[in-house]
Amino acid sequence: MNEKTNIWLKVLWVVAGIGFLVGLYGLYARFVFGHMRTDYGSYVPWGLWVAAYAMLIGISAGAYVMASIIFILRRKDWYPIARAALGVALAAFIGGMIAIFLDLGHPERFYELIFSTNFRSMMGLMAWLYSFYGLMLLLLIWLSWTREDNPWLRRLGYLSVPYAILFAGAEGALFGVVGARPLWESGLTPLLFLVEAAVSGVAAVTVVSYILGYLDKAKAAFLGRALLILLLTNLLLIWADFSTALYAGIPAKSDAIRSVLFGDFWWVFWIVYMLIGVVIPLLLLAFRPKSVGAISLAGLLIMVTAIATKLSLVIPAQTQAELTGLERAFTGPGLKFEYFPTTSEWLLYVWIISAAVLIFLAGFVLLQRVHKEAN
Amino acid sequence: MTKTIEKPDAPNDAGRRTFLKGLAGAAGVAAVTAVPVSKAAQAKSIPLEMFKVAPAQVTPVGGELDPLERMRGELVRALEKPVNERRWVMVIDLRKCVGCNSCTISCVAENHLPPGVVYRPVIHEEIGTFPNVSERFLPRPCMQCDNPPCVPVCPVNATWKRDDGIIEIDYDKCIGCRYCITACPYNARVFDKGFVYNDVPPEPVVSTAMVGSEAAEQYEVVPTFEYGEPRTREAGQSPIGNARKCHFCLHRLEKGMLPACTTTCIGRATYFGDANDPDSLVSELIASPNVMRLKEALGAEPKVYYLQ
Repeated sequence: MNEKTNIWLKVLWVVAGIGFLVGLYGLYARFVFGHMRTDYGSYVPWGLWVAAYAMLIGISAGAYVMASIIFILRRKDWYPIARAALGVALAAFIGGMIAIFLDLGHPERFYELIFSTNFRSMMGLMAWLYSFYGLMLLLLIWLSWTREDNPWLRRLGYLSVPYAILFAGAEGALFGVVGARPLWESGLTPLLFLVEAAVSGVAAVTVVSYILGYLDKAKAAFLGRALLILLLTNLLLIWADFSTALYAGIPAKSDAIRSVLFGDFWWVFWIVYMLIGVVIPLLLLAFRPKSVGAISLAGLLIMVTAIATKLSLVIPAQTQAELTGLERAFTGPGLKFEYFPTTSEWLLYVWIISAAVLIFLAGFVLLQRVHKEAN
Repeated sequence: MTKTIEKPDAPNDAGRRTFLKGLAGAAGVAAVTAVPVSKAAQAKSIPLEMFKVAPAQVTPVGGELDPLERMRGELVRALEKPVNERRWVMVIDLRKCVGCNSCTISCVAENHLPPGVVYRPVIHEEIGTFPNVSERFLPRPCMQCDNPPCVPVCPVNATWKRDDGIIEIDYDKCIGCRYCITACPYNARVFDKGFVYNDVPPEPVVSTAMVGSEAAEQYEVVPTFEYGEPRTREAGQSPIGNARKCHFCLHRLEKGMLPACTTTCIGRATYFGDANDPDSLVSELIASPNVMRLKEALGAEPKVYYLQ
């Protein structure tokens, strides 16, 4: 590890540490006030934490597929990146699970998801898919850090790629099957989740590889090309979904899309996502295709704005009143069609992300020792 | 056979009136006329038969039976059948609804709904442009769909369609993921975030000019009877953190009483009964040419019908 890497790692430790400490208030508020200090409720039941969960699971699945492909292709020179990718996958997965666990009204009953599963529910199905995913992830981490030439890495890799595609697609289907929310209900939603998972996963691995000093020019250029193709594919899917719905003009869906594009939170889509998360990274990747720094910066921008794409999908679908005038019929906390996360919600979000980063860093230090002893 | 129900477990009329009064005071809504509590209602236990009033026992006023009495008789008749042969439906005559919100408030009082939880809001809509304007009032209970979108999405089987068609929620199983809330096309499911009107346990009020303040204080302390289970509101305990919704006052139905919204409707605009009984009032009404259901195109097959 060179000096530059050391500095970046230290910065990451400090930033995540501060985020963790500041975010503790969000955790405190969640435990003491339950769901009373949140802005979601009855008409907008899912908020920032659900979006965070969807984003983190996407990053996890994307990073996991990337590692699996490296193992399948037996690219030994990429193995350090694959191991880092598995670390990213595990940390994001744990973060996503914490987010959805704390979002539950009765987290203490989470075991019902396994012991009383309804397999007709995408969420029930996901509970099992997550369990196996977690086990496979741990197994791959163990194998990859202890013995590099283990033939099981490749075999599990073959299993992992289709499994992660099923998994990330099912995550999208969780939203895609909800007929009551026209913005979600689309055959494109699972595909969109898949591509977003790949984009954000590869972006996160690029950033982490840069920080750890694993990126040479060739590797960075390859990751840059992958990111460019994935970003363009993502844009194509969004275009297909939005343009057809706007052209058809059926209000239930086109109104929701208009609210994404031109509503109160237009800046989430146009500024945070489109400008910072797509256009600037695309320019960096297209015009600086060989610069390690530019490609890593593009990855960083994609990674930190990944929450915006999920927020643009999760929230506007719920802010369209299903029955006009309902919000004026009876008032009370949570009986409204507007949503903006409260300070407590933001702080818990910061805490979860920081916790995920700390898990990655701590795991990395630990596994590096294991790796040194094993090899 | 005489089944008895114990007080205070029994949701008797006196209790409801007191609650209604208390709620009116607490919410600052128009005061509700206090009705003297009858001696029978004050008794320790009430025979179930008391609620069973067959049409023949009631003397029609002016030759015509009040729809409420007719529906009560039909309810008792339906209760004598096995559960799977009943098919509870609600019919709401939009031409008769005056938008008084009695149903909304009686439902809140009956089920001790906390702030932010409502089972039967009444949507007010203005139709037309001046000078041709009118107002329409649309009460929106749970539609108890025959093909309920909220049921298959529940990851833990905590909600299901009963044999009589009512969609039930198991509060003790529900994990509060709110997937069902997103899946309902009628926004009929709500999330209980844990708010209360009073401190629990209530702070003693030294003096107040509010009508019914004593009853209002007890609002969170006295149990609710949803799904036939007495429950008092305690922090962190179900139904806090759960999805909640209208259940056609299942706990009342099973005691031979009509849903609270139906009995309190001042315009007799809400009808309730067994659609499997060809002689029931609701069976007659849903055969009218002016019947409609909300969002028919979604295929959820709601069991709440509107007459317009």
